[in-house]
Amino acid sequence: MGMRFAAGVDVGSTQTKAVIMEDNGGGGPRLVARALVDTGANVQKAAEHGFLAACREAGIPAQEVGFVVGTGYGRYKITFGNTQMTEITCHARGAVFLCPGTRTVIDMGGQDSKAISIGAKGEVLDFVMNDKCAAGTGRFLANAADVMGVSLDEVGPLSLQGKQPVKITTVCTVFVESDILSYLAQGKKAEDILNGVHMAIARRTVSLARRVPIEPQIALTGGVARNIGMVRALEQVLGATLQVSAEAHFTGAIGAALFALEKMDQSFESAIWRPAHA
Amino acid sequence: MRKVAGIDVGSAVTKAVVVSDAEGAAVVVGRGSVRTGVDLEKAAADALAAALADAGWQRGSVDYIATTGFGRSSVSFRDLQVTEITSGARGARRLFPSATAVLDIGSQCTRAITLAENGKVRGFKTNDKCAAGSGSFIVRAAKYLQIELGDVGEIALRAENPQPISSICAVLAESEIINHVSAGVSVEDILSGIYDSLAERASMLLKRAGMGQELVLIGGVARQKGMVRALENRLKVPVSVPADCEYVCALGAALLGLKRLETQLSAASCQS
Repeated sequence: MGMRFAAGVDVGSTQTKAVIMEDNGGGGPRLVARALVDTGANVQKAAEHGFLAACREAGIPAQEVGFVVGTGYGRYKITFGNTQMTEITCHARGAVFLCPGTRTVIDMGGQDSKAISIGAKGEVLDFVMNDKCAAGTGRFLANAADVMGVSLDEVGPLSLQGKQPVKITTVCTVFVESDILSYLAQGKKAEDILNGVHMAIARRTVSLARRVPIEPQIALTGGVARNIGMVRALEQVLGATLQVSAEAHFTGAIGAALFALEKMDQSFESAIWRPAHA
Repeated sequence: MRKVAGIDVGSAVTKAVVVSDAEGAAVVVGRGSVRTGVDLEKAAADALAAALADAGWQRGSVDYIATTGFGRSSVSFRDLQVTEITSGARGARRLFPSATAVLDIGSQCTRAITLAENGKVRGFKTNDKCAAGSGSFIVRAAKYLQIELGDVGEIALRAENPQPISSICAVLAESEIINHVSAGVSVEDILSGIYDSLAERASMLLKRAGMGQELVLIGGVARQKGMVRALENRLKVPVSVPADCEYVCALGAALLGLKRLETQLSAASCQS
């Protein structure tokens, strides 16, 4: 009999996401397990750890996973797995799976941000990417949280309480750091500062995304999607509602796993990965 | 004898010089600097007090105060404010009379200025949009590598196999630095790569401004020998660095202040 389980491993610059999905026939693909590990400096190890953690979570031995697709910036450093695909393709596929009807994906990751335009059949029409600067990435928000002395999980909810957002004219992470310090010294409230910071990044991200035509409906993916302050700021700038799945952080890995399920069906080849650190 | 002060309120450090024209020509008699912090007025007052103490002059003994730098307009006790482009050009030209271009690498901003024959500013380009190519890039790298900022320049000179840093963004480059560290690359080679990346950004600015043959490097980063070497390697011209490279804009402001004061005094004496 054939294999039921397939995996997607999204090796991001900051975090590695791995999911196990299963195709149980008529019900369609189902998300079985997910795992999140810090990528760190050893990309290869992070991919293995992520994958094995997802297997543990699923309660299956790694050998039962019939096909593994790698994606993300570190995908070529994955030593196991059957094939690699770009994160653009995987994000589009994952977003349409999580939020059917998605035509635009705004993805805010740890160190880059991108917008993907998707056709009616789920195909990628166009994309733009910012990997040149930290504006609009999780790295930016982590930095701001650090300077403010609050945890990364707090910055979003706090920013929503801001009533009089401060003016932030730059999106350079380094410059915003000194802006924040001088606003703090002026006695501005943390929530007003954070509101201003989120709005500045939202404006910047939307102007990037406008370079692919933004069509509803719009899905926000990537780790930053967990930040409710950024969701609301983007919605305000876009003048539209965003679809944010509870699994938005795993969109790329889910897309990769969906491709893996398909490819597993197409080939009778058994698993060829051999994790060295199993 | 006239006593004039120039105060350069920079984003990281505020520098002040006091200048006297006792011997017919303007001479720097004192200098002082403090970290800028968030109270710009206080930083300017403290730097001035330090420069006055260095000169052995009394508080309040200067006739005229000119400010420059990003915080120049936040200093209420100023008589004159000039941009850091004007003051940098003026100060560099005083120290190197045949300079054709000035590169000012500060903490948050890098400026390339080209000079006309008479020393006036002919054109300039700045990277004021982001910290790429600015001194804060090095500050952050030094922090990560746990090296004293003062040692960074010397250490970079010992590089044997400089490793390129491909990120333009000062923040994203940090991850590259971390990756180099964990891949076992030597600190010397990493630092040298950082200077090379800064020099690349700076030379792009200079080329857009049109630089000529005699380049003067000023600003705090000019003190770092690794930066000077990286620039010379890339531009293929010698780079001149004044001894008090971080005080050049303050000096320029003081000289412009002195000139303005003389104009005012001679106008007043004509009227009387």
